[in-house]
Amino acid sequence: MKTTASHIAASRCPRCQTVVAPPASYCPWHPVAMTPTTVAGVGEIVSFTVLHSAPEGFRSPLNIAIVELEGGARFVCHGDETRGLKIGSTVAIEAIDDIYYFSHLGALERARLFWRRAGHAGDRANAIARSLAKRVWNRGPRGN
Amino acid sequence: MGAISGPPCKLTFSARPGKLGEGMPSVYVAGAGMTRVGRRSEPLQELMADAAHGALAEAGIERPGMLVVAAMNPEEFLGDGNFASNVATYLGLADTPTVRVETATSSGAAAFYAAFAQVAAGLYDSVLVVGGEKMTHLATPRVSEIIGRSIDPYERSYGATMPALAGLITRALLARKLVTPREIAQVAVKNHANAALNPYAHFQQAVTAEEVMESRMVAEPLRLLHCCPISDGAAALVVTSERTPVRVAGIGQGTDTLAVRHRDSLTSFKANRVAARAAFQMAGFGPERVDFAEIHDAFAPFELISLEDLGLVPPGKAGRVTLDGETARDGRLPINPSGGLKARGHPLAATGIAQIVECVWQLTRRVGARQVPGRVALSHSIGGLATNNWVIILEAV
Repeated sequence: MKTTASHIAASRCPRCQTVVAPPASYCPWHPVAMTPTTVAGVGEIVSFTVLHSAPEGFRSPLNIAIVELEGGARFVCHGDETRGLKIGSTVAIEAIDDIYYFSHLGALERARLFWRRAGHAGDRANAIARSLAKRVWNRGPRGN
Repeated sequence: MGAISGPPCKLTFSARPGKLGEGMPSVYVAGAGMTRVGRRSEPLQELMADAAHGALAEAGIERPGMLVVAAMNPEEFLGDGNFASNVATYLGLADTPTVRVETATSSGAAAFYAAFAQVAAGLYDSVLVVGGEKMTHLATPRVSEIIGRSIDPYERSYGATMPALAGLITRALLARKLVTPREIAQVAVKNHANAALNPYAHFQQAVTAEEVMESRMVAEPLRLLHCCPISDGAAALVVTSERTPVRVAGIGQGTDTLAVRHRDSLTSFKANRVAARAAFQMAGFGPERVDFAEIHDAFAPFELISLEDLGLVPPGKAGRVTLDGETARDGRLPINPSGGLKARGHPLAATGIAQIVECVWQLTRRVGARQVPGRVALSHSIGGLATNNWVIILEAV
């Protein structure tokens, strides 16, 4: 049921082994091409904030977190709920239409997230439609 | 905060210890000028002309050898391009060689470095540096979005703004118990108290710790009165090879990744530590000789982080010394006697220059009620979210 991103696309520096996500062409520390890799969609909260004055194109309040993924890379993502969340909390990363969120989320919560995040009505409708379509598709073949 | 950490590959510098700037001729500041910072109705070019003509008059120079212009984003804020020539022509210096320098919010300090390098290299005997920004005519979310374009595009795609990233940093500081909320609030209280004596400052009124700690939440746990305002203003300096009472003792740049997520630490800025090391290397002395400093406090906790990163305060002590009044105007090490970005205001590309203007005026005893004693001043500017930082050390000679 969950669309937990068990693997997140990343890249590794062949010189210093630094892993960054999402993947980059070159290592931030060396003028060397990075090689593709993946990291687990599970990690620890490094820090998080609730932004009450979101920039143009976003709705307030907006949850933003930095998560240290298993496999080394630090990752920036949204989250549904920060109540009870602490630095060091273990979270799963879910990808919903290429936007990453920490914690596990149900369909209703996902739809609500889209509604809250998207700044334009068109994007909102589009995102919700695609999310629902994906959900129906996921449900179908598995028969649950 | 604390010791330099991380893999060794992240801490290799091209600067050779003890060699930086060795044998270079001395560079001096001959004139300084700035406008009142705040909500200004004049065009940016007019503000820059006021500051520039003030600095030139103080230096007794009508026409500098070169002009360096600093503006972070006049393209977006004003719709003006080719800004070096735009400003040069407005100032009446259309015949003067001119460049523009940009390193986000530290553009003013970077422009000062460019001028310093020109004079140190012997290419020009005098260089005028002028920086400024005008933003208050736009709505705050728009300004926030434009400033936020200095953030990594991926992080920005998640709505990250400067206050959002500063909020992440502040939460990490508090969680590690490196500072307390009361200590962070005291930075704002102190800097507002200083600005109340500065006729050039954006804010002229004091605030209490309670007001700071109860102000509107911006990016948890960061509140409105922890953040600098959106300001208009301009500042200028004349840099010369000819001896004046203020010598540039050292100047250093430190850089880091555009993306905050690529860094090992949220509670210390590598760009601070590298810039300070380079500047002190050039000066030939350490932070213990610094008498007062202008620190980039765009967000109140950044003053505390930077005090430790620059070596001005021992690791883990910045909050304590601030609460104890050591960084107040009458303290052992006055920090931000101008009021800092927090209360003097932060007209982006003007800021790095305005900080040096304050240091020069302090060193030459021209600031009246907010005068602090001392012969060595340090000016510190952060570009972006600490991606391109500068430390400048000035000495009364």
